[in-house]
Amino acid sequence: MNRNYEQEHDDDIDALLRQSFDGPVADAGFCDRVMQQLPPRRRRSTWPLAAGVLAGAVLCSLSVFTSPLWRAAWQGWLVGQWSTSALVMLSTMAAMSLLALGWTLAEAEDR
Amino acid sequence: MADSAAEARIDQSLVARVLLGDDRRAFEQLVRRHQGMVRAQLCRLLHGDQAAADDLAQETFLLAWRKLDQFRSEARFSTWLHRIAYASFLQACRTKSWAARHAQDDAMEHLPEPAPAMDLQVDLARAMRHLSTAEQTVLLHCVQLGMSHDEAAYVLAMPLGTVKTHATRGKAKLKTWLSAWKAAASEETVP
Repeated sequence: MNRNYEQEHDDDIDALLRQSFDGPVADAGFCDRVMQQLPPRRRRSTWPLAAGVLAGAVLCSLSVFTSPLWRAAWQGWLVGQWSTSALVMLSTMAAMSLLALGWTLAEAEDR
Repeated sequence: MADSAAEARIDQSLVARVLLGDDRRAFEQLVRRHQGMVRAQLCRLLHGDQAAADDLAQETFLLAWRKLDQFRSEARFSTWLHRIAYASFLQACRTKSWAARHAQDDAMEHLPEPAPAMDLQVDLARAMRHLSTAEQTVLLHCVQLGMSHDEAAYVLAMPLGTVKTHATRGKAKLKTWLSAWKAAASEETVP
């Protein structure tokens, strides 16, 4: 009973506060003034991203191609054998691709 | 609820048009859709100083234009705008004379209960001024601007619990100060 009274009184206060609020302000040329002040949009330069991707690819290639694992995998692949090295390399590449795909999808969802 | 979801989708598509196609007309539509509430929010925060509110609102939209690529859909676009507006207001308070006025408001928190007056709205306005700045701000956002507690917490950068506490305390104080009106209204209804 007391709780209902409290709730009712809360609703009264809410209603009073809403009544005392004048609501949205009329435009009266405000929007036009803002649009006149708007600066040209800065395009985000793409070169840092491209340079990062290139540097990453070069470093990755250098570290992979000089490793004995890669050579063993490559030789096994050439003779048509599913060696452990070949399987490890293929699994790693597949995992990295899936990771990149997941990241891309998550970013696209955010947008 | 469905209306607000539809409004949010329209905002999102307008934002996407600005970001992907550098579409100024889409941004103009966003300004037209939200300027009224952003200016009302700032006008209330500045105690009715409409000119200052318009200056801050303009600054808010220019900031939104510059930072639009930072808008993630974790909040509605309108909520994001209100957050920028509130941050601009706080920034202005740090540098301008409004801060002094707010300090006075805080000092008025413990003033005696106002005597019953003829006009309920006048009494409400007086009672609101006697609330602390934080309570006034929370009630403005939660009740008058119609935000949820979560949204108000996002806009005001306050913990959710603090927002709820200020809302409850503010309403309790208003209830006490305006209880004479409630009693008078009950007496009038009894034959």
